[in-house]
Amino acid sequence: MDTTQLLKGVLDLAVLAVLKEEDGYGYDILRRLREAGLEEVGDASVYGTLRRLFAAGLLTTYVVPSESGPHRKYYSLNVAGRDQLTRSGKTWRSFATTMDALLDDRGMAA
Amino acid sequence: MTVTGQEIADYVDRVRAALADLPPAVRDELTEDLPEHLAEVAAESEGSLVDRLGTPEAYAAELRAAAGAEAGAGRGRRRRRLAAAQARAGTQLRALDIQLGPLLGQSSVSEFLRPLRPAWWLLRGWLAALLISVVLQQPSGLLPRLDGSVLAGLFLLAGTVLASVWLGRRSPGLQGWPRRLTRLGTAALLIFSFGVLVNVDQHASSDQFGSYQEVSVGDRYDSIEDVFVYDQEGRLVRNAQLFDQNGVPIRLGWPTCLSVDGNMPPPRNAYPYCPDRAPFGPPVPAAPAPAAPTVSAPPAPGPGTATPTPSGSATPAPTVTPSAVPSESTPTPAPTR
Repeated sequence: MDTTQLLKGVLDLAVLAVLKEEDGYGYDILRRLREAGLEEVGDASVYGTLRRLFAAGLLTTYVVPSESGPHRKYYSLNVAGRDQLTRSGKTWRSFATTMDALLDDRGMAA
Repeated sequence: MTVTGQEIADYVDRVRAALADLPPAVRDELTEDLPEHLAEVAAESEGSLVDRLGTPEAYAAELRAAAGAEAGAGRGRRRRRLAAAQARAGTQLRALDIQLGPLLGQSSVSEFLRPLRPAWWLLRGWLAALLISVVLQQPSGLLPRLDGSVLAGLFLLAGTVLASVWLGRRSPGLQGWPRRLTRLGTAALLIFSFGVLVNVDQHASSDQFGSYQEVSVGDRYDSIEDVFVYDQEGRLVRNAQLFDQNGVPIRLGWPTCLSVDGNMPPPRNAYPYCPDRAPFGPPVPAAPAPAAPTVSAPPAPGPGTATPTPSGSATPAPTVTPSAVPSESTPTPAPTR
C-alpha cells in the first residue's frame, strides 16, 4: 500500500504531534517528520498542511529574525491545537488498534 | 550549492503562476515561505530543485491540496482548470517573449514593443472615433464624421485620442473590472479595425476615384491595344475621340508604336495611336470606285439592214475586249457596325 495515500489522512495529526513539544518553522517541521520515519512526506504537503491548520485556528505563528539567513516563520500549537491533537490522537489510536486486531485475527504478521 | 538564486526565483514564479487562480492574499500566504524553503533544500543536497521536489506545477498542486485551498466560493473545478491553463499559457508566452527578443535586437519582445505603446494609444483613439462615427451611422471613410461634418469629426477624433492617451498612461494601475473593461474594449476595437481595413481595401481596389478606368476597364476590353474608326465610306478616321454618355473620355489601349519623330506617343484620347497598323489597309483614295469592265463592241447588224457582203474581211463576231482597269486596291470593306 502506498504510504503517501495513508499520509494524506494522518498528516494533520503528525504535524500537530511534532509541534507538541517544541515550536518549529516549516523546514524544521519537515525534517522532524522525516526523522520520525515519515520519509515520503512531501515538502509542499507539509507547508500546505501548516497553512490549513493555521487557517483553522489550531496554530499560531511568529517570526524569528535569523542571523544567518532569512527570517523564519515559527508555528506553535495553541489551545485549540492541543485539543485537536488529543482528539485526533485518540481517534487514530482506536483506528490503529482496530486495524491491528483485524489483521491479527487473520494471521497477518506485523 | 549547485542551485542558483535564479533557479529558486524561477521555481517560485512557476509555483505562483500555477496558483494564479487563488485570491492574491491566499496565494501570497501559501508561497511566502517558499523561497526560504527552497534555499534550505538547495543547501542541503545536490541536484536541481525539480529533481528533488518535482515540477513547480506538481508542487503547487500538492500545496493546494494539502492546504485545502480552493479558488474561492462559487468557483468550480472548470474555472480552476481554466485558470491553470491560463497560467501555463502565460508561462509559455513569457518564455517565447524572451526567446524571440534577440530577433528584434532586444532582450525580449515586450521590451521591443514597450516604446511603441504611445503609438498604439494614438491608433486606438482614432479607431474609437471611427467606431463612434460608425455606430451613429455616419458615412465615414478614414476620417470620422459627425452629422456629416468633418470638422465635428475632427473634434471627436481629438477627444478620443486624448482619452486614449490618458487611459494608456493610467491603465497599468487599473485593477478589477476597469481593467477587464479596458481589455474588452481593446479587443472590440481590434476586431472593428479589421473590418475598417477590409472596407478600405475594397474601396482602394475598386478604383472608385479613377474616372477614366471606371468606364474603360472591363474584361472585354482588356485585350484592346488600339482603336480604329472608319467612316461610312470605309475611310480610316484619324485622331478620333471617344466619349461615353457623360462626356467622359473613353480610354482604350495604349500606344505600341513610335510616332514620326521616333518617340513613344503619350496616351491620349485620339485614336488610333498607330494608324499604320490599321487592320483593313490604307485609306481608299477619293477617286471614283474601280471602273467596271468596259465592253466595246461594234453594233450588231440589225435585222432590217442585213446586207450580206461576201467580203473576206468580214468580222464575223462582235469582239469583246475586256479592258478592265486593274484596280490596285482590294475591295473596300464597309464596316457594318
